[in-house]
Amino acid sequence: MMPELIMLLGLIAIVVVPNLGDAKFRLPLTSVRVPVLLGGSRFELTNDPRMPNRISNLTFSLALLSSLLLISESPSEVGGILAVDSFSRLFSTMFLAALLLVSIATTHRLPAKTNAHIPKESDSESVFDRKISILIDNRRQVDFYILLIMVGLGMTMMTMATNLFMLIVCIELASLSTYVLVAFHKEDGTGGEAGAKYFIVGSVASAIGIYGMSLLYLWSGSLDLEILRQSWLSMDGIDPFAAFGIGMMLVAFGFKVSAAPFHLAAPDAYSGAASQVSGLLATASKAMGFLALFRVLVMITVPDGSEAIWMIALGIFAIVTMTWGNLAALTSENPKRMLAYSSVAHAGYMLAAIAVVGSGISSVDQNAIILTAVSFHLFVLVLFKLGAFLVLALLETEGKGHEIEHLYGLGRRDPLIAGSMFLFVLSLAGVPPLSGFLSKLLMINGIVSTSASTGSSSSVDIVSWAESVDPLFWLAAAIVLNSALSLFYYLRIGLVMFFEEPSTEKSLRAAPSLRMAIFACALLTVLCGIGPVSEWLLDTVSSAIDSLMYE
Amino acid sequence: MISDPLTVITIVPLAVSLALLILPKISGSAEGLARASRAISMGVSLAMLAITTMIFFGEIGNVDWTDYNSGYSLTNDAFALIPSIGVQWKVGADALSFPMIWLTTLLIPISMLVEWDAKKGHLFHPLILMMEGALIGVFVSLDMFVFYAFWELTLVPMFFLIMVWGGEDRKYASMKFFIYTFTASVIMLVGILVMYFYTPEVASSGTITGHTFDMSVMIASSDYIPSEGLRHLVWLLLLIGFATKMPSVPVHTWLPDAHVQAPTAGSMLLAGVMLKMGAYGFLRIAVSAFPESTVAFIPLLIFLGMASLVYGAWVCMGQTNLKRMVAYSSVSHMGLIFLGIATMQPLGIAGALFMMFAHGIISPLLFAVAGAFKHHYHTLEIGSMRGIAHHSPWLAAHMMLGWMASLGLPLLAGFVAEVTILIAFWMSFGWLVLLPTLTLIITAVYYLTSMQKTIFESNDPHHGILPDTLHGEDPRDISWHENSGMIILGALTILFGILPFIFWDMMSEWSSGFLIDTLVEAMQSEGVKP
Repeated sequence: MMPELIMLLGLIAIVVVPNLGDAKFRLPLTSVRVPVLLGGSRFELTNDPRMPNRISNLTFSLALLSSLLLISESPSEVGGILAVDSFSRLFSTMFLAALLLVSIATTHRLPAKTNAHIPKESDSESVFDRKISILIDNRRQVDFYILLIMVGLGMTMMTMATNLFMLIVCIELASLSTYVLVAFHKEDGTGGEAGAKYFIVGSVASAIGIYGMSLLYLWSGSLDLEILRQSWLSMDGIDPFAAFGIGMMLVAFGFKVSAAPFHLAAPDAYSGAASQVSGLLATASKAMGFLALFRVLVMITVPDGSEAIWMIALGIFAIVTMTWGNLAALTSENPKRMLAYSSVAHAGYMLAAIAVVGSGISSVDQNAIILTAVSFHLFVLVLFKLGAFLVLALLETEGKGHEIEHLYGLGRRDPLIAGSMFLFVLSLAGVPPLSGFLSKLLMINGIVSTSASTGSSSSVDIVSWAESVDPLFWLAAAIVLNSALSLFYYLRIGLVMFFEEPSTEKSLRAAPSLRMAIFACALLTVLCGIGPVSEWLLDTVSSAIDSLMYE
Repeated sequence: MISDPLTVITIVPLAVSLALLILPKISGSAEGLARASRAISMGVSLAMLAITTMIFFGEIGNVDWTDYNSGYSLTNDAFALIPSIGVQWKVGADALSFPMIWLTTLLIPISMLVEWDAKKGHLFHPLILMMEGALIGVFVSLDMFVFYAFWELTLVPMFFLIMVWGGEDRKYASMKFFIYTFTASVIMLVGILVMYFYTPEVASSGTITGHTFDMSVMIASSDYIPSEGLRHLVWLLLLIGFATKMPSVPVHTWLPDAHVQAPTAGSMLLAGVMLKMGAYGFLRIAVSAFPESTVAFIPLLIFLGMASLVYGAWVCMGQTNLKRMVAYSSVSHMGLIFLGIATMQPLGIAGALFMMFAHGIISPLLFAVAGAFKHHYHTLEIGSMRGIAHHSPWLAAHMMLGWMASLGLPLLAGFVAEVTILIAFWMSFGWLVLLPTLTLIITAVYYLTSMQKTIFESNDPHHGILPDTLHGEDPRDISWHENSGMIILGALTILFGILPFIFWDMMSEWSSGFLIDTLVEAMQSEGVKP
């Protein structure tokens, strides 16, 4: 529980440290003054407006480090509702990595001066710039980092939950904090609206999920995941309570992973939030939803050797989700919305892979490979999806980034940033040898190796072969076709960056820590696609999945 | 001497070019590097040429290129790049790839020499060096994943060469170039992935996916792909990727635009080596893996080849832009390669290989000439300038030699390739040979007309007609570096015209071995007479 403890300490520190000062307490009737340290005029060090950010960076780095070191820890139980194993440590490592990147990347924003105002369209350029810089320069924002650490606590705890109730509570802890984080975007009038929308839709989805959970409790009398699994396996036919319960939980998790048709709030939330936060939603928050799907759908309801009840529904959802996401992204003129829809499409790819796990024709080994692929994809998404959002965050520091025109000529203004952005979109599209290709290949491979062997090899022409192959094969074909479709809008970003004329020749703000985060993402996008780093990561993911599957 | 020369000639140019491009950006103290980058690039490319030349003369590796059965030579100990999906660093060369490798190492220093005084030279020459690494990587890698990665990597330097140093319409041209070739290679990637998913698990132990990207395994296991229809489909997907690169009608339209806008060195490499990547990949992957599909689609190959040949030549006659004419003549000559493969004769395939090589030295000469013409006369219009022979005798001489070689004058390199392909075509398809033969006459027509319009035909024997774009300046002859590059290319054109057997022997051995190994069985089962 080391990473969680570190985060708790960080939470306390972030409240206490900025308040440290030289206040003294005079003992009554004496002239002895005892320093109490809290209050008074702040010390120079603790008064620094960057202090909360530094504490949060330090907290997340330490937590990430300890989580990495504990990744191959032997399994242990905590209080009957949490269990630490390499699978949970793997995911908490991923969450913490994403949060650390976000925390580093937010050094250069966070508005809260009292004289800050949102700039209007009618403002002259100098007024606009001044207002933006007031909004950005005040970094004295403890609340933001408190919320960020709360998200971290919720996410890492949910990786360990072995009890459905605990799972939901931890997800809610993380989700409620993200709703506020979305509304934190004060440079733009859209932040509050996006936060409210996201909160309303999200809490309705959660409510449905909790209702489903209560149905499951009615049915089995326990919320322990292992007991639920046993009762599911020993069930005669399908109990309506169980089926409805699982279906309703699917709605809640479907919202978290932004699967169609529950994704409708996601683009609004992503485009309204600060880009760093949108990146967090698109990576860590989505991974949280998938982890919940692993725990509930895959671990409870996959019978050995026969089809799971949700298989066909999930397969259809997957195809609808990826197609809808890609088509909507094609028509978006706002790069943040485009990335949000692309994130919907990616959810579709991963759902397709999970649908195959429930098909009943895949062996346990094949299931392990597919889950490895999905987990690996979630892992590398943190690098290039978050990276792409961070590039938009850099544009946001000058009040831009919500229209495709703002990307025009970025290649001329700032070649390194534009190059990184191009790398990110190529990886999102799945171009070899980047990490996005590796993960997508592994997922398609999982689907194809399960289904393609069912096709009759004696058929001569392609139509009769296509008729004989298992329908699951078409999930792989759908992923390939959708990836081809997605190339258009990903490449468009590259084209406008290098071909269109920029409205200004000024290079982007320096923002060294944001740039550092972007370059780290870019470097890792390449390294996780080819070479020893990718191998190590894949091995780690694979052994963690094995510990989940063959326990 | 060098234990793994092919890895060296791939990695060293890439590493040096990256260092030259990036180091001066991130540290101010490396500015000296930027100033010296032209000389360093030239030095490295000459060293690579020395290595490949020594390989050819047996100083390194002692390879007998004429022995088909020895398979790949100069192979390395393969080591895994991404073991989980079966990607390896595995290189090797045979008689199909070696002439292309040598040609690449030869053309890189020459194209650098021709554009020795390019603007922004600290970026230009390193980019050409990067091109060298990427091109060699395509020809040497024996792993499909690495092959594909290098295939895409060649786009990057070429894109920037056109985009930054190109002519007025460079934006349009580079975008078109990128979109065409990138889309085509993504289609090709789908084909490669289908092949990948059907590699047998036995051959790929230690991977998570149970498949391997090892090129020879992928080619050998194409029989595992169920149903003939799917095999045909994969073959067609690969064909789209390769034919766009070659380029063949109807996906050739990016080429004239790219050529007209590209800087001289870019055009030389584009025509000299990049187009050959298509033919190379087609033979190496599509034909080797799917001989039945190739035999079944012979009519399609003949159609594509014929269409490119005739259409390309026909369009050439109407061109007034020098570079555009040369570009279409490239399309036309690439059509001959498809025809040579379609004959299914050792002679035809060897002719196609020799065409790849011969066109690889002739077309850079043509583009160097066109580039120099543009450079000194500021125009590419045929006919706006007459009597070059008077003002720029060297330029006129190179122009004449290049055009003669391109139209297939005997004793020049192009003749050998054309005549062997036509003989093989006659042996396979009889009187159908008339069409390609007549096209060669069209070729002669457009070259001779242009020759008359530019080199000779001056009303005033002392001055000729000078184009308006010269603005009254005195016309000059080409500069020393342009001249020396063209002299080398011209000399090689003559050398390989008189002594074609320098490369011909290995090519014909390879072709007959390849034919017996892969295609004969397929032809018998399809009822095509071998």
